[in-house]
Amino acid sequence: MLEIKDLRVSYGQDVVLNGIDLELKSGETLAIVGESGTGKTTLGLSIMRLVEGTVRGTIRFNGKDLLTLSDNEMQQIRWSQIAMVFQNANNVLNPIYTVLNQIMEPMIEHGLKSKKEAQDRAAELLGYFGLPQNRFTAYPHQLSGGEQQKVLLAMAMANDPELLILDEPLSSLDAAARAEVGNLIRETDKHCAKLLATHDLDTVSKLADRMAVLYGGKIIEAGPSQDVLSRPRHPYTRALIRAYPNMTTVKDLQGIKGQMARPVSGCPFHPRCTQAIDICRTEVPKLVWNQGRHIACHRGGIITLLSTKNLTKCFGSLKAIESVSLHIEAGETLSLVGQTGSGKTTLAKTIMGLHQPTEGDVYLEGAKVDSRGRDFYKRVQMVFQNPGESLSHRLSVLEAVVEPLDIQEIGTGEERKEKARQVLGEVELPRTNDFLSKYPHQLSGGEMQRVAIARALVLDPALLIADEPTAFLDASIQAKILKLLLNLQEQRGLSMLYITHDIAAARKVSDRIAIMLNGKIIEEGSSNEIVAAPKQGYTRSLLRAASTLRSTKSTIDEGA
Amino acid sequence: MFSKGNIVTYVIAFLFILALNFFLPRMMPGDPLMAIYGDEALIAMTPELKAELVERFALDQPLWQQLGAYFVTLFQGELGHSYYYNAPVLPVILGRLPWTLLLVGSSLVLSTILGIVLGIESGWRRGSKTDRSMLAGLMSLNGFPDFFLGMLLLIAFGVTLGIFPLAGALTPYSGLSGLALLLDILRHLFLPVAALTLAHLAGGYLLTRNTMITVLKEPYMLTAKAKGLSQRALKYRHAGRNSMLPVVTQTGIWIGRVVTGALFVELVFAYPGVGYLTYEALLARDYPIIQGVFLMVAVSVLVINFLIDLSYPKLDPRVSYAY
Amino acid sequence: MHIDLKKEIKESGPGKIGIIILLLMIAVALLAPVLARYDPYQQSTASLLSPSWNHWLGTNHVGQDVWSRLVFGARTSLLVGFGVGILSTLLGTIFGVSAAMLGGLYEKVVMRIVDAFIVIPMVIIVILISAYIRPSILTLILLLSLLSWQGGARIMRAQALSLKERGHVAAARSFGAHHFYIAWRHIVPDLGPILLVDFIYSVRRAVFMEAGLAFLGITDPTVVSWGMMMRDALSFSYLNVWQWWLVPTGVALSLTIIGLTFVGHAAEPVIEPRLRGAEVA
Repeated sequence: MLEIKDLRVSYGQDVVLNGIDLELKSGETLAIVGESGTGKTTLGLSIMRLVEGTVRGTIRFNGKDLLTLSDNEMQQIRWSQIAMVFQNANNVLNPIYTVLNQIMEPMIEHGLKSKKEAQDRAAELLGYFGLPQNRFTAYPHQLSGGEQQKVLLAMAMANDPELLILDEPLSSLDAAARAEVGNLIRETDKHCAKLLATHDLDTVSKLADRMAVLYGGKIIEAGPSQDVLSRPRHPYTRALIRAYPNMTTVKDLQGIKGQMARPVSGCPFHPRCTQAIDICRTEVPKLVWNQGRHIACHRGGIITLLSTKNLTKCFGSLKAIESVSLHIEAGETLSLVGQTGSGKTTLAKTIMGLHQPTEGDVYLEGAKVDSRGRDFYKRVQMVFQNPGESLSHRLSVLEAVVEPLDIQEIGTGEERKEKARQVLGEVELPRTNDFLSKYPHQLSGGEMQRVAIARALVLDPALLIADEPTAFLDASIQAKILKLLLNLQEQRGLSMLYITHDIAAARKVSDRIAIMLNGKIIEEGSSNEIVAAPKQGYTRSLLRAASTLRSTKSTIDEGA
Repeated sequence: MFSKGNIVTYVIAFLFILALNFFLPRMMPGDPLMAIYGDEALIAMTPELKAELVERFALDQPLWQQLGAYFVTLFQGELGHSYYYNAPVLPVILGRLPWTLLLVGSSLVLSTILGIVLGIESGWRRGSKTDRSMLAGLMSLNGFPDFFLGMLLLIAFGVTLGIFPLAGALTPYSGLSGLALLLDILRHLFLPVAALTLAHLAGGYLLTRNTMITVLKEPYMLTAKAKGLSQRALKYRHAGRNSMLPVVTQTGIWIGRVVTGALFVELVFAYPGVGYLTYEALLARDYPIIQGVFLMVAVSVLVINFLIDLSYPKLDPRVSYAY
Repeated sequence: MHIDLKKEIKESGPGKIGIIILLLMIAVALLAPVLARYDPYQQSTASLLSPSWNHWLGTNHVGQDVWSRLVFGARTSLLVGFGVGILSTLLGTIFGVSAAMLGGLYEKVVMRIVDAFIVIPMVIIVILISAYIRPSILTLILLLSLLSWQGGARIMRAQALSLKERGHVAAARSFGAHHFYIAWRHIVPDLGPILLVDFIYSVRRAVFMEAGLAFLGITDPTVVSWGMMMRDALSFSYLNVWQWWLVPTGVALSLTIIGLTFVGHAAEPVIEPRLRGAEVA
């Protein structure tokens, strides 16, 4: 019913929309998601042709290109076939006319109803949207924010439009009003297609069938809302969801590195993308259909960094790990949770090549890893449990940190020292010469582990395997190290394989959790799902046994 | 915008007017009776009449007693006695009043409505050639004093072209009635109204235009446009109605201006209204008439302003009765 | 307010025209004795003459040279205009700022008086008073000023009130400054642009009033005034004389007022910044 092709809108030099492709079917609700200033409102306004800038492209509504219509024809379509619910601000409604009057107005103006019919219908609409009858003849400034929003909705539905554009319909409301108005929007006129512009993911999940994410003037991901929200496949979408506080997500909030700015060429997100490659800088990716989703990414979305297939390792007759198949995507954290002896460390070491697998394969970025050379170690690094042991007591901080560079013969001495300083800064340690010449026994446990992490970062790996990194540290230090790891992920786009026995800590840093028992992966899924709805009994018992501050007399621990 | 509906203000203004009326003649040197009635009047008065007046106004008593007498006579509806017309002041004024009301009323209505409409159209097209020329044109027009405009019109249309009559409100002794009479009155009314209207057009125009410019930037204008309303509906029902509100508040002040303008215009066209009466009284030093007119005009203006203050909340729902 | 008043006026088309007209009128007024060719008061028997080389605009009904009277009339209008402008703006500023600064009962009383005077039409009062006292130019200036400072007072008070709340005023108060100091150094300078606009409109109103009152015949007959000239010309409107007697006088008067209007209008955005600028999307 609505088809937008290559819509470009600019105000003078400022390009707001840079080639938008969208489709909306009759009765469908599509949410346009984006942060402030990304052009969601402009998109809505351009469909109504209320935009003051330069508009190019095609907007096909029921077969007609709206951009080619005359002013008169457009005037007739406005509010009779396409209507808009504006963002509720001061003075969106004319202050000198009653709300009833303002709802009647478009009915009468478009010649669709007589005055009496219009009045009845307006009253009906207001009643449907839950405005008390004695408020019908009130003036806009006499109504509360929630009531004004209802009026805007009722007014938009006045002529039973086929397409309704809603601009942040719930953001000015309090929680109770939100639920009420949200329901009204969802239930009203199922035949009416709705285009919803919002930054609020809660609104999207409640109201929208499909969603499209807007960034840098382009749609970068689009698909069924529940799919996209639970499994985002564009780095920006994932980052957006990670940054949004909600009751479903267990992982801590993370931001997106860098700032929103439009690069001159290439993919609009590339300056902030942690899996960008050369082509991303030069060419703009097209929005293409890829396994049930529209995605605009040269790499087809978030890539799978590492995967294992049927990985098995036996020590004699002992099957330490058996048929382990997992995958880790770029920029995500997979936590491997299991008790001592479950095979977690064996798995990590097998992946690293410290053990040879008995069966099965490891794939790095799609390519099978036969032998692990320098290239492999440039991409995958490990942080061990006990920094006291993993750092040689003979080497100073500087020497320990530059060791990988020395081994791989990268850079000059000065450059290596500079790099060391840089990574030490990243792990929030001092960069002074004084500190660089310290020895491990002069450092605290937390400092030592940070040095170990710095050392692991010095080759700029894509995947960091952290084996119980906080096992030997105090709780408060543990918190800092976990935060540090999250920050590093945010800044560098690091993927992490986080190995631990502590599911309570794991869920704070993981996108996905895999439960390991007796060498096998018995359950795996997004951290939200595992914590809220574990399938396996063992998982449930792990959750029950996990640290909690409530008394254990309560019957079920939901892992809250 | 002056404070809305503060009764105290109007009371003070009223008292000031009364005080002025009272004190001015009594502050003049010489015989207060002469100051009140004018020396020419006194010449014609008999000693008995003089004595009676002295007694009535308590002119030989202390000032505060005079004040009392003044108020008493005032509230008896007695505004004094005009020597010149040899009649009480009030009826004389009332006899001339209808013409002035006609003149002022028509001009006020015309200039306000025309000013508003032009202001809306100009504001709608802000920056365009039409707007700029209208702005320059009306501001220039505003610079012409009403009497000058009146004289130009009189000379152009009355003297030179002879389309309109040169003086009076109707043709005397014509014995016309019904429609013919109406037309006659209109012909005599046309030029004075034109002069007064043109002179005061700019006030409403400028205010409306300025308000219009601000209003057009408001969010509800975009909402209205989104509703697919016609240009006319946008311009008048939405923008225009909102732009009118300041004009209404100012109408009170403008009435004062138009009324004083009527004074000059009546003079130019020898239009037999209260203004011309005042002029004649000035020439003849007929103080009772002058005072009577002053009192009536000032009080009327006050009352009208007060009424406008009361009715403003009906037009702008955002304002509640701020008493 | 970081708005350059001079720049505002210079950039406005009408503003420029207004300034030019004003300067022209001021020049004429100042140079009147030079420009006039006869004594404006000297009557002669050569009455109602048409324009000629001797009398550029002919003569009036008592044989006075119209042109000479015209240029001297400029003096009267501008003198009264600027006189009232200065005095009225001064009074308005004093009362308005003091009301804002002192507050309390003083403010209430002053503002009530101000409001009361704004409602009453000024002209009528002047006419009434003039009926009793024939005002000289000085008296006229005084009278008009006393009746017109109120408008400015309101604006000044409003501005002073908002300025009072600004940071630098609070700072000065914290140093122990008293009201007068604060008013003089911190508030009045910031009032500059508004003062100017109020002044311009006061001048305009006064020029209007003086001409009108002269037209009615209330002002001092010994002083040449454009209004009075027009009044004399009225009685002879059936003759041709209006062309050179009435029209130039009326035009001169109107031009002066228009000039003031234009300058005032150009300076207005200083107070109401939303009116500035050409139409942009």
